[in-house]
Amino acid sequence: MTDHARHQDDVGAYLLDALNDLERQSFERHLRGCGECQEELARLRPAADALPASVQQFEPPARLKAALMEVVEREARPTELPRRRFTRPLAVAAVLLLGLVVGFGVAQLGGDETRTVAATVDKAMPQAGGTLDIKDGQATLELHDMPELRGPRVYQVWLQHGDQLMPARTFEVGAAGTGRVQLRGVEDADGVYVTREPRGGAQVPSEDPIVSVPL
Amino acid sequence: MAHDIRDLADEEVMQLVQQGDPRAFELLYDRHGGASFSLAYRMVGKQAAAEDVVQEAFLSIWRSRLRYDKTRGSVRTWVLGIVHNRAVDGLRRSMVHERRRETLDVVEERHEARERTDVEVARREEARSVRGALNTLPDEQRRTIELAYFGGYTQSEIATLLEEPLGTVKGRMRLGLDKMRRELVEGVA
Repeated sequence: MTDHARHQDDVGAYLLDALNDLERQSFERHLRGCGECQEELARLRPAADALPASVQQFEPPARLKAALMEVVEREARPTELPRRRFTRPLAVAAVLLLGLVVGFGVAQLGGDETRTVAATVDKAMPQAGGTLDIKDGQATLELHDMPELRGPRVYQVWLQHGDQLMPARTFEVGAAGTGRVQLRGVEDADGVYVTREPRGGAQVPSEDPIVSVPL
Repeated sequence: MAHDIRDLADEEVMQLVQQGDPRAFELLYDRHGGASFSLAYRMVGKQAAAEDVVQEAFLSIWRSRLRYDKTRGSVRTWVLGIVHNRAVDGLRRSMVHERRRETLDVVEERHEARERTDVEVARREEARSVRGALNTLPDEQRRTIELAYFGGYTQSEIATLLEEPLGTVKGRMRLGLDKMRRELVEGVA
């Protein structure tokens, strides 16, 4: 069977999103080089595009727009907001977070300096804790007993430079509640923080940090 | 020159969104949020899940706003395509295939005459014509298209569900779309 013969019948399913991931990737590879399938796709597309218009129309609740715009407006001003928001965690970290400082140490290992700094965690997560290990410009943040996040949310790491918070990686902890994140650029950072953000990460934090590692 | 962004066409509003203008994004939501929510609700069958789908989709639209390419279709089609993708992902991820219709929440139905604008009139006309086109299809073609597009089922799942060969299912989708297209575009069945 030729590549075209195998794929030409998939045009309808492709337009209706009814191919599984492997089938879709395979069809898209074929499509790039097949004028006939491209034409057929363009010919049938208006029918598939029209389908949403057939459904009964409902009014979305106002809270949906409010929640959405809150995030969008915050992210639309990435240069102003970190400054304003970030004065708080600095000033109040010690007072508000009051978690356990598990330990602080500097270890000498064969001439390579590994610095281990304990994380301060929000008191709403009494079991949670963790450390930041810094060695040769590489840092590893390891956390334990973190609550697993429900819905479309993830944990996100932030690096503090002066009064700016720069977004770093996002991570999940799973049911075990453990997270391990490798970070770069920590040697010039003034602190490492974690917040809960929408999946995909944010440009500015949407809450005060729940994990703080001041450096 | 337009002084009110509400006078702008979707493509012009989208240009402002691409520059990071939250007011333009709000207008985009005002224009297409209802159709998005209605599509998501038709697919996932629960109000809370439909809200999650729309929120995820619009945040993704905001964050990937530079990816919109007007040469590839209207803003509305692009937006609804992203909503559809998110809903399909949600359906396949949570396997809520045993969900729905029997548990349809009560949502506030849109008031028929909320806005008597030309746009609203045109949309109602479009809805009528698309429903009409769907209704001209033989039952098995319509059912297959609905299971795929609104149900989020893959072609293989539909073949199993309907106890039909995969080739038959593929054929029904393609023939059904072709017949709808002729009905909609050319006005003949």
